[in-house]
Amino acid sequence: MVEGSLGNWRLARQSTAGSATIRSQRLGQICVTGALLGPVLIFLATCFIAPLGELLSLSFSSSAGPLASYREIAASGVYRQVFTNTLILAFNVALIACLLAYPTAYMLSRLRGFALSVALWCVLFPLWISVLVRTFAWILLLGENGPVNRILMSGDLISRPISFLFNSTGVYIGMVHVLLPYALLPIYTAMRNVDQPLLLASDGLGASPFQTFARIYLPLTMPGVAAGFLLVFLLALGFYITPAMLGGMKNMTVAMLIDLFVTEQLVWPLAAAGAFWLLLLVLLLLLVASRFVNLTATVAAR
Amino acid sequence: MISKTRIASHVAGSVILAFMVLPILAVLPASFENASYIKLPPDTFSLRWYRVFLADPEWWQSLITSGKVAVLATVISLFLGTTAALGMQRVSPPARAVLTGLVISPLVVPVIMTAIALYYVMRPLGLHGTMLGLALGHTLLALPFVVVNVGISLRGVDANCLRAAEGLGAAPLRVFRTVTLPLILPGLAGGGAFAFVASFDEVVVSIFLAGVQAKTLPVKMWETIRVEFTPVTAVASTILIAVTLVLFISVKWASSAARTRRVAHVD
Repeated sequence: MVEGSLGNWRLARQSTAGSATIRSQRLGQICVTGALLGPVLIFLATCFIAPLGELLSLSFSSSAGPLASYREIAASGVYRQVFTNTLILAFNVALIACLLAYPTAYMLSRLRGFALSVALWCVLFPLWISVLVRTFAWILLLGENGPVNRILMSGDLISRPISFLFNSTGVYIGMVHVLLPYALLPIYTAMRNVDQPLLLASDGLGASPFQTFARIYLPLTMPGVAAGFLLVFLLALGFYITPAMLGGMKNMTVAMLIDLFVTEQLVWPLAAAGAFWLLLLVLLLLLVASRFVNLTATVAAR
Repeated sequence: MISKTRIASHVAGSVILAFMVLPILAVLPASFENASYIKLPPDTFSLRWYRVFLADPEWWQSLITSGKVAVLATVISLFLGTTAALGMQRVSPPARAVLTGLVISPLVVPVIMTAIALYYVMRPLGLHGTMLGLALGHTLLALPFVVVNVGISLRGVDANCLRAAEGLGAAPLRVFRTVTLPLILPGLAGGGAFAFVASFDEVVVSIFLAGVQAKTLPVKMWETIRVEFTPVTAVASTILIAVTLVLFISVKWASSAARTRRVAHVD
């Protein structure tokens, strides 16, 4: 925008010059733009698009025919189960994260000044900490002799330690904890943008607090919830570290399956095909999401 | 809405905020464990495992490698991100949208996929297991934040300043160096700090691209956790948190200082 107005101003100044000079200057401008965009385009082409392209050709390279690897994954009950489990896990984690994020975001939207700064730090700080560290912390806390079990036992709430680790409970706790900020930020933004006089108007017209919430506040903040839900869903689909550390063999996600194909079984075509099945799911989700929310604004929110 | 709901949301919200932050801090006391296993909270505190960390070259070398890789990734993503943000300002809005989507796409594609794809192409090229290979992989994930941060700063630059500089006869490169660059410095610092942390903390791409010669701290930690449960990993976690915290606080502090300056300037 800045450059745009600058460009107009340049153009106005140039109108007195000859058309050949204008053409050469415009050519110069295009060269500058090209020189500025060149490095990033070369980088993305060589370090992102080309590797993914190699992976794609690898996925078609099975000796049993180009689509054999894709078919093998789709036909196997075990692999299908991993995909189904991952979808269910990602969906539930997104749901839980949104349910927890909603009241928290509401509180944040009511805070001002120092309290708001502290609360926002609490939301943003975990995003900066390595997923590995955040997951490791849960191993310490949730172990059989960990503080959580000891507190529950000293309060006589349970007689034997609960096994939180290496099962679904651990995966859910860890993944909700890691992904919660991604649900919270879009919901908070939506709540900040709610027109407060609307709520007063609803109140003044005799609506009960519940009616005001259900018919005004909730619909107005729903786009934020949708954005948060989809973002968490999207990120959870590809999750690797947290389920690998906190889950057991039953909690295998697609990402863990791909890793297994590459590092243990050394079947690259299957790994590549699995990765593209996963990408297909992600892209389908994005396609649905793009109808509701502006994801580019959400993804880079930190 | 009535105050009862507000009280309820404040209680629930505070509990959930505590749930977000406090578990992370559990690794801090664990790192000062005196015993050879982790008990939370430890019975006695000591620096025993910090000494173990410093005495074991595999651990401290991985910390140094992490630092070098993060610096390299930061430099590369700052260069690529700043030129990209400048270039994206000069193209039409539809082209800009396409470019933004392209730059952000590494955050949308599952990281495991990017990781195995990079592993697959870097191995025959000899980039696998090198710091450059790791830094290039990290740059992919850090770049979107640099482009977004610098882009926001660039939109905040007053076009009149650029016009004034140009009108006074400054060449485009000089306008950039003396006017644009100082004005977007907060965005560069924020994006740079984020790129550093993104690289320093990164695990998935690193697991696949690291080798014996270039192993970062998170990879060393990951390998150790899978085999044994030792307090050294809590020390490594504490170091990762400390480095991140220092950068996080300086960025927040710098951005609030910049905001105060801007407000003062307007007044």
